[in-house]
Amino acid sequence: MDNINFVDYEQIDSLMKTFAIIDKGNGEYVSMPKADYDAQIAANQTLPSNFVGIGNAPADPTA
Amino acid sequence: MSIKYNGGYLPTVGADGSTLVANSSASTGVSWAGQAFSQPVLNSAFQIWQRGTNISYSNETKYAADRWQASISQSAASISQRATGDTTNLPFIQYCSRVQRTSGNSQTSDIQFAQSFESINSIPYAGKTVTLSFYARAGSDYSASSKGLQYRLVTGTGTDQNVLTGFTGQANAILQTPALTATWQRFTATATLGASISQMAINFVFTPTSTASTNDYYEVTGVQIDLGSVALPFRTNSGTLQGELQACQRYYYRSSTGVAYQQYGAGIGKSTTVAGIQVKLPITMRTVPSSTIDAANLSLYDTSGTVVVSSVAQSGLNSTPDVYYLEATTAGGLTQFRPYILTNSNSTSAYIGFSAEL
Repeated sequence: MDNINFVDYEQIDSLMKTFAIIDKGNGEYVSMPKADYDAQIAANQTLPSNFVGIGNAPADPTA
Repeated sequence: MSIKYNGGYLPTVGADGSTLVANSSASTGVSWAGQAFSQPVLNSAFQIWQRGTNISYSNETKYAADRWQASISQSAASISQRATGDTTNLPFIQYCSRVQRTSGNSQTSDIQFAQSFESINSIPYAGKTVTLSFYARAGSDYSASSKGLQYRLVTGTGTDQNVLTGFTGQANAILQTPALTATWQRFTATATLGASISQMAINFVFTPTSTASTNDYYEVTGVQIDLGSVALPFRTNSGTLQGELQACQRYYYRSSTGVAYQQYGAGIGKSTTVAGIQVKLPITMRTVPSSTIDAANLSLYDTSGTVVVSSVAQSGLNSTPDVYYLEATTAGGLTQFRPYILTNSNSTSAYIGFSAEL
């Protein structure tokens, strides 16, 4: 299970922006804006039940 | 008009600029084909694996080999670089990609493995006859029904979209499900693409059955698209390993040399906990890299000592496709306005990666 932390970073325009730091273990992590992380969760991109993708394999019309 | 030769006839004269090539499937033994210029599939021989050569999946969509993305709605699967181990049935292609369901896994949803092309690299094929070819073989426990591996040449009408999240106007120009064997075979299929397409993608679909045994996998390599109706001898996009690496780095760059205290960039202490760091990218990337960064085991170095970096984040507004600006956070111990080098924590497994994928 990934460990998620949220960290506020001051941007070059002095505005604060919150990033999600997703700890993958072994020192590895992924950093992304919290808004992107929230959108990813909302889309359930990592969950099979909500995978939209290209769709399951259709019948092969040439078979 | 046909040209008589050696007691037979050549095919009808081909289109301007086409060339005559040997074709054992044609009754005359020859066919007109498109010119053998660069083919659009990047990392087609699976030589470049910046993210690692063995990628595990658990209900996720992510890249494995450079430019090759898999969507796997299963709890345990992997994609890895393997040696082809065959110089008889392959034109001396050293590596392939193994797409494997982990032994004991009983989930049977599709395992998709795809490469999406930018519109700028797809539009030259609009309205043209193309031939998709690749080499594949099955592991001894490959569980797909009838040992089938579905492959598709997918087209779309959008701009720079990702096929695994869907193309606008998506259609299958080619859709075949040949049976694999334990021996490498070359598979080819030809189609004429719509005149208005602006995107292409290749997609392999493995639909497993029952519970995976030890060797429930297929392997693929030598993926190629040619103009015309003949699969020409395999060649990579760039023709050189360095060219192939740089072509891939247009989309993703990971600095991971495996050298302890490798340096990635330099910058200035912003506070006692944060430093702003500039990382020069090795080539101009497709776009400004996304604000998602993957990293491991980084430190800041001031020529006196190192401070462990707990996380990094893009500092917006001033990154470009050439230079990335990020902020590195520590638990403390930095000095404001002091120069710092972004290095690693005496780690051979450290890295930092930037993505400009579709």
